[in-house]
Amino acid sequence: MRDASVGATDRQLIRLAADGDARAIRMLYDRYAPRVHAVVRRIAGDDDLAQDYAQEAWIRAIRALPTFRGDARFSTWLHRIAVNAALQALRKAETRRKHEGPAPADVPIAPVHADSILQKRLERALDELPEGMRQVIILHDVEGYTHEEIGDVLGVTSGTSKSQLSKARAKMRAMLANLDGAAQEHGAEAWSI
Amino acid sequence: MEHLTAETLARLVDDVPRPDETEHLEACDACSGELTALREQTEALASLPDIMPPLGDWQVLEAQLRSEGLLEDPSPFQKLALARTPGWMPAAAAIVLFLGGAGAGAALTRGGVGLALPSVPEATSVEDAATAVLVAEQGYVTAVSLYHELLARDGGSGGGGDPISRYAALEHVVSVSQAAIRQAPGDLYLNGLLASAIAERDAAARVVSASRDNWF
Repeated sequence: MRDASVGATDRQLIRLAADGDARAIRMLYDRYAPRVHAVVRRIAGDDDLAQDYAQEAWIRAIRALPTFRGDARFSTWLHRIAVNAALQALRKAETRRKHEGPAPADVPIAPVHADSILQKRLERALDELPEGMRQVIILHDVEGYTHEEIGDVLGVTSGTSKSQLSKARAKMRAMLANLDGAAQEHGAEAWSI
Repeated sequence: MEHLTAETLARLVDDVPRPDETEHLEACDACSGELTALREQTEALASLPDIMPPLGDWQVLEAQLRSEGLLEDPSPFQKLALARTPGWMPAAAAIVLFLGGAGAGAALTRGGVGLALPSVPEATSVEDAATAVLVAEQGYVTAVSLYHELLARDGGSGGGGDPISRYAALEHVVSVSQAAIRQAPGDLYLNGLLASAIAERDAAARVVSASRDNWF
């Protein structure tokens, strides 16, 4: 089958989309929606929230398109907008929760498109990590951010990011071991030097 | 023997171990095995696939974008700021026939404009048909982009630049649009674009015809 992804370049699409061209915006969406949805879904840890956050990210991006200068790749620029949108939405939700009192516990739902047992286990373990750890491990291990970049995005020091990453990896490892049903002789807490 | 902590092992996924940690890892199969598992976990996270948004996601987004005025469907004539009615003139027709062959290609090369003309085989399945629509859409975007470039280059007046290059590039826009329309004959965008492009091409042809140093 013909590869339909080639043809119109991002630059062409961005130029038209910045003018509100419906078709160009749709083509940008088709091209990048899975990437955007993946990162916000993992940060949100919930399917319904992920859709809201992704929509917010797209609206911000389309609104900001006229200011896109092409200094960075469009995918990088859009990715950063998506991460920021998701993190800000989470902070807002957290503030709301503090004011409104405890809400019913969310039941994490594994993404339906992860097509291997390992991927499903990883996604489930990510969902179950505490929020701070989840954000750091997603940005570092999944998305490839440096600790300095994570520090900028999350407003923490790179040292904090590094420390959170080690905790997140260790906790995730313990969760995956439990999911495997292979009780380790050395539980996560038992590993002490 | 005291094992390395889980967090230490997690740190060693990225960092070089200290001498005492190296010594321990060399002596302890459990810790070195755990470090290997952590490295595999990190590699697996890095290769997690993208996730498709839920069905209907675009429709929800589209409605929001419209409500914020970020997405519009103006007619191609409004969009391209073209209200002129295309009209054939005998001289222009002659130029079209002449330049439609090798002359157009040469002019395109000189103008630095090069586009692949989309050609889609007849669809025999839904998948092929969907691909054909995508290709047609890309033809549209490519053509409109080139169109905007041409307008920007000549200040929208059609009076600047090399008239033959401009004519040839517009002829190419017409060809791309026609190829796209063959895949989506009822598409208002594409039909409007084609009409606009033909009008501009004809205007460019008149400029070529009227210039004193043309070939006629």
